[in-house]
Amino acid sequence: MKMCKIEIGKDLKELNNEIAAKNRNSFKLHDIFVLNIMGSPGAGKTTLLENILPLLSEKYHIVVIEGDLATENDAQRIRKTGVTALQINTNGGCHLDAHMIHHEFEKINAAETELIIIENVGNLVCPISFDLGEDLRIVVLSTPEGEDKPLKYPPAMLKTDAVILTKTDLAGYVDVNTEIMKKHITDINPRVCVMESGKINGVYSADKIVSYIKDKIEAKKVF
Amino acid sequence: MHETALIQNLIVVAQKTLEEHNVKRVNSVTLSVGKLSNAMPDALSFAFEAMTQRGSLKGAKLIMKEIPVTVCCLDCGAEYNPLNFPIICPKCNSIYYKITQGEDIFIESLDCEF
Repeated sequence: MKMCKIEIGKDLKELNNEIAAKNRNSFKLHDIFVLNIMGSPGAGKTTLLENILPLLSEKYHIVVIEGDLATENDAQRIRKTGVTALQINTNGGCHLDAHMIHHEFEKINAAETELIIIENVGNLVCPISFDLGEDLRIVVLSTPEGEDKPLKYPPAMLKTDAVILTKTDLAGYVDVNTEIMKKHITDINPRVCVMESGKINGVYSADKIVSYIKDKIEAKKVF
Repeated sequence: MHETALIQNLIVVAQKTLEEHNVKRVNSVTLSVGKLSNAMPDALSFAFEAMTQRGSLKGAKLIMKEIPVTVCCLDCGAEYNPLNFPIICPKCNSIYYKITQGEDIFIESLDCEF
């Protein structure tokens, strides 16, 4: 009997990363900007989309890819804004992976699409680890989730370009100080862009978020 | 829960490697797990055990090495191992850093019998 050690030294996410790189190439080839939105269930991801899509669709042709374990509910909510939406049901899967996005991209009319927004499965852990080939990552965190939520989920704060604090109008009712919550975010990731959304006098405020996304899309076009 | 997806990838990578070698048995698989890799060692063990009941990794042991977080200061270039957030450079007190190690999970090696 002979014993031997076979050295491998490969990243466990390599299979996903290879497909993500292919996705990124396809998106670049068609001049499509891709945004991946992540956050806990109920953080307000779909509500954020319902409010930013009318403003973004004035300028861009958009397709939204919705990820959920079950139902077509979120895709239906998005379609009501007039934007095309595809629904992925993971049937228990806790995250979207690059292969699922590759498969959905085949259904999209790439020549007529400028922006793809992916709403990941509601989960603040698993989606963070899977590159989909996106250009921009946004994590949505709602104030009722608790002031110290950022400290409990460091990778979610680290592996994103921006964090949006939602439901800021509810902060006072759930004893959350949004300034402390923001400090927890930047204590983990000093370079992340932190924005707020919530209702002011009954109107959802999202202008800054829309400008942020537009700036990122235009910056990609320059290069 | 994504630990099952990671172990599925491990099995695919291990099988590809084994196809190139004439191996009788795999005794153990060594993984290095970054502290910020977002994967839980217990869940990886459980998924590994459940998913290698048959196939080429049947009976193999999973050995995990924890990899600490290493960062590089973006202001003075110092390399250090932070223990907690906020991450502050011990040399120049800068809060700006780049993570250089501890975010990934690697399959290091397979210990095999020929």
